[in-house]
Amino acid sequence: MARYAMVIDTERCVGCQSCTVACKSEWDVPNGDARTRVRPAGVSGTYPNFTSTFVVSQCNHCDKPSCLDACPTGATWQDANGIVHVNKQLCIGCGSCVGACPYNARYINATGGVADKCDFCSARVEKGLDPACVGTCPGKAKIFGNLEDSNSDVFRLVYGGTAHRIETSNIAIGPNVYYAGKPEHVEMAAAAFPPRSPYTIAAGRVWSGVVRKLVFLAVGATFLGQAVAFFRQLNVGEKQFED
Amino acid sequence: MPFETIPAAPVPLTAEQAGIMAQQQVKKHHVAVVLLHWFNAIVWLVELTTGAALLVNPAYSVAPQWYLTMMADMFGSRANLLRFHIATGLTWTVVFLVYAIFGWRHYLHAEVLRKEIGLDKDDFDWLRIRTLLLINKTKEHLPPQGAYNAGQKMYALLVYTMVPLIMITGLIMTFHLIATSVVAWAMVLHFFAAGMVVSGLMIHVYMGAVFPEERPAFYSMITGMVDELYAYRHHFKWWREVRLQQQEWESELAANNTAGNQQVEGATVQR
Repeated sequence: MARYAMVIDTERCVGCQSCTVACKSEWDVPNGDARTRVRPAGVSGTYPNFTSTFVVSQCNHCDKPSCLDACPTGATWQDANGIVHVNKQLCIGCGSCVGACPYNARYINATGGVADKCDFCSARVEKGLDPACVGTCPGKAKIFGNLEDSNSDVFRLVYGGTAHRIETSNIAIGPNVYYAGKPEHVEMAAAAFPPRSPYTIAAGRVWSGVVRKLVFLAVGATFLGQAVAFFRQLNVGEKQFED
Repeated sequence: MPFETIPAAPVPLTAEQAGIMAQQQVKKHHVAVVLLHWFNAIVWLVELTTGAALLVNPAYSVAPQWYLTMMADMFGSRANLLRFHIATGLTWTVVFLVYAIFGWRHYLHAEVLRKEIGLDKDDFDWLRIRTLLLINKTKEHLPPQGAYNAGQKMYALLVYTMVPLIMITGLIMTFHLIATSVVAWAMVLHFFAAGMVVSGLMIHVYMGAVFPEERPAFYSMITGMVDELYAYRHHFKWWREVRLQQQEWESELAANNTAGNQQVEGATVQR
């Protein structure tokens, strides 16, 4: 079995957006949305020693995905190889997962009306190909592979201590997109785009906090009411009703 | 006809009158309504059992895990289960749309609704006394009722508001309409509306299938007919209306017959 991961080498990324374009054309991502993005992390340092880097972000296929717990219909699921998928046939497009992802990796696809995100190009990976963004990167800044294969580059980079997760002490759900490069660049990336707190959409909070309780209460009350009536019927007998 | 004149308020029946009335049948439901009722019952059974199995997230679910697994396995996958739920729901919506269009004047016109499901003073009294009777706390008699009693009216009001809500929210979720947040709230309303109907449905099923006093109402949903004694005792206002109408028809028919006979005689003379 495989356990897929990706390493972004910030030192090799030149911010050309080739990966963004390759992904968009591979998966028909609508304008305004993106499965993968390249964003500048800003500038740090003091004159004349400035430094900057680009941050490539996408779905992290986390070890403990918060989107998985948020999905009401079970449309979001995780394969044994770690890839988090959206089953478009089950998704109703409620946006629960969009709120739950600390990395803003998800969006509602305007064309289909359901949730969409990077799936490590699993259709390509199944055929032995690299994800579209990996194959197209001119600087070879995206390194994709199997963490269970000790000969793979990702194994070497991740377990060799070169590549790091972008996590905080509060939000540590095990993202499987790692960042390598100069330590100050990885730090800049983590500081510029840190994971945010996942939130439950208002409708979801109302469902479990109010509506479900209300429904149980209403159904329970009528059930009790008719149970009383039924036992009275048993007790009194049916004779009196028949003249 | 067990009465010389139709009484304006319920009067005690003699054994002979009751005997005659128990034998006579009055038409209560059109065959289309009977068929629609059982179609609706099957749809509700199917939609509730599949719908509960679609809520798999513990924060949303209402059924135990074994049930969710069993239902998904029965249909092959949860995607199939959802497809079936949607197909049944869409069929239901279309059928009721046809009913709403063709049955508008008969069943859904504001005047009809006011009369058949609007609550009047008798209805509020009925609700109070009925409840007290169930727990054996009163000797009062139930006030006369129309074609539907106050309990049925309240249930109808609930269903008439919740069913369109269920249909609209179902369509929103099926076709991912309007906006993401609208879909999210549609999900909540769909569940809420179904839950409210279920709480009423439990009483509806109990009254129809188990409660002995309402047994003729259950059979009327199969034959379309109720016996006159039941109509007199449980739906006096409706019984009176039916009887008055029949009386009117009969006198009209008699008048027409006399007029018709004269014409025929006239025609004979001419020939």
